[in-house]
Amino acid sequence: MSDQKFPAAKKASIKSAKKDAPIVRMVDIDKWFGKVCALRNIDFHVNQAEIVGLVGDNGAGKSTLIKVLSGFHRADKGEIFFEGNRVNFNSPKDAKRLGIETVYQEQALAPHVSIARNVFMGREPTRGLGFMDRKKMDEESMGAITKLGLRIKDPEAVVEALSGGQRQGVAIARVLYFEAKLVILDEPIIALSVKESQQVLGFTQQLKAQGISVIFITHNIFHVFQVADRFFILSHGEALADVKKEDTNIDHLIELIVSGTLEKM
Amino acid sequence: MQRFFNRFFSFRASFTLVVFIALLIFFGIFSADHSFFKAANLTAMTRLAPDLGLVALGVGLLMIAGEFDLSVASTIPLSSFVFVKLLSWGTPLIFCLLVTFFAGALVGFLNGMIVTKTKLPSFIVTLGTMLFWRGLVYAASRMMPIGIRAWLDFGSWIEKMFVGSVFGVIPVQILWLLFFAIVLGFLLHFNKFGNWVYVTGDNVTAARAMGVNTDGVKITCYMIVGFLCAFMGMMQNIRIESFAANQGVGFELKAIASSVVGGTVLSGGIGSIPGIFLGTLTIHIIENGLILMGAPPFGISAFIGAAIIIFAVLNVAAARVSGK
Repeated sequence: MSDQKFPAAKKASIKSAKKDAPIVRMVDIDKWFGKVCALRNIDFHVNQAEIVGLVGDNGAGKSTLIKVLSGFHRADKGEIFFEGNRVNFNSPKDAKRLGIETVYQEQALAPHVSIARNVFMGREPTRGLGFMDRKKMDEESMGAITKLGLRIKDPEAVVEALSGGQRQGVAIARVLYFEAKLVILDEPIIALSVKESQQVLGFTQQLKAQGISVIFITHNIFHVFQVADRFFILSHGEALADVKKEDTNIDHLIELIVSGTLEKM
Repeated sequence: MQRFFNRFFSFRASFTLVVFIALLIFFGIFSADHSFFKAANLTAMTRLAPDLGLVALGVGLLMIAGEFDLSVASTIPLSSFVFVKLLSWGTPLIFCLLVTFFAGALVGFLNGMIVTKTKLPSFIVTLGTMLFWRGLVYAASRMMPIGIRAWLDFGSWIEKMFVGSVFGVIPVQILWLLFFAIVLGFLLHFNKFGNWVYVTGDNVTAARAMGVNTDGVKITCYMIVGFLCAFMGMMQNIRIESFAANQGVGFELKAIASSVVGGTVLSGGIGSIPGIFLGTLTIHIIENGLILMGAPPFGISAFIGAAIIIFAVLNVAAARVSGK
């Protein structure tokens, strides 16, 4: 589909890589804040319909990496490729336009407003003169939520009445509805109960099942081990490891994180 | 239909409605000679209550968007003054009307610009603009009333528009209040702009992240407040046939009180137009009913104050019970 956007001459080189091209590839990224190096020589990629666990301690550079990827920051060095094509993000809007959506934990929803109104916040479907098509909003928000495997009966219920897991579901349903290709979840289960965490992990698998790639940011490897296909471990702005799940186990990963962190100290 | 009623009562105004009806019954029974429900009293109430009501609708809408406007207390006499000056210069009536609307909206626009650009608390900003405009109006008028009869003949269309009555009995003021309540109600509850108002007041970070122009929403709400103040300033001016420097004094807090009684929350994101509408009528009938029952007129504010606190508590309790 996106092949049409590029002239034939250009296509040849892209096309071969395209089939299995990662949805996103960041090459040799450096990011400095003044004299502080936040990211150094980072090579990071996410494949189509893959769940990548982005793991690291506080201050390891996870957020910086994601902010570069979602257009909030510009890298000082390096390149970003989206579906095999080089891209330049000047603002979060550029990244959103391509289908890169970030779900932040507390900032995503208006607690006293209904689910349907939250899902369509800022992008309300209307029937002329700006009057909202409430039937469409109710039906389609419920549709997106059901797709995630979440059961909520009333689209008019306010978000405040939902559990933490359900709220995450509403926020994820929103990006799902607006056709995200890569969803970035920023510490999605940090404040949730065990049961709710399982629910959110289920959402990520639903996204994957629908061909959407997921970056799952966490400082706790246990949070993500169950669902991730690959682990990317950051420490002090450098990549410590990039391993597939089948090549590792949780003890190995913990050892990596601990030893890597110790070395740096 | 069932769902409509569920929705209606999920607004925090359900308690206000119940208390409103209870108060009607109470004053009907206990006012001396049941004078509360006498035609003369009903006419007076429906003529006077919309003064506060119009301002409260705007202030309440703005509060849902998360901001305050104390400057209404000065926008009202300012508009009235502008109107009377235009009249005195022999301006055609239609332009008197339009320019006064424009002046009110402009005051609102300036409030909105200062609040959104400086990011200062709107309470402080509009306290400043209230005193500023009041000073200008007082200086320009030397605080003297200016009668309109020198320039405005009896029975002109503008008089019919603002202070006439329909079928000879229903004061046009209450119809204007209903009209604006319905327009703003549809805007707030069914239009996408209304959704932006709610999300701006509820979680401004989320709203901005989702592409809602939150500054634009706030400025528009301030302009609606300014417009309504201009409308009310003229309406009152024509009723009392004069500009009066003390028009609007105390309305800034009474408008907030009306909104709170109607279930609006000070932190924004919660409230409804039916609620604010009922809230302002409730405040008015408490005042009116107590006077009819022989309460000392200068002590009424004690009852209003108590009512505000009781309603705030009831509304929070109602929210907890309904789980919303």
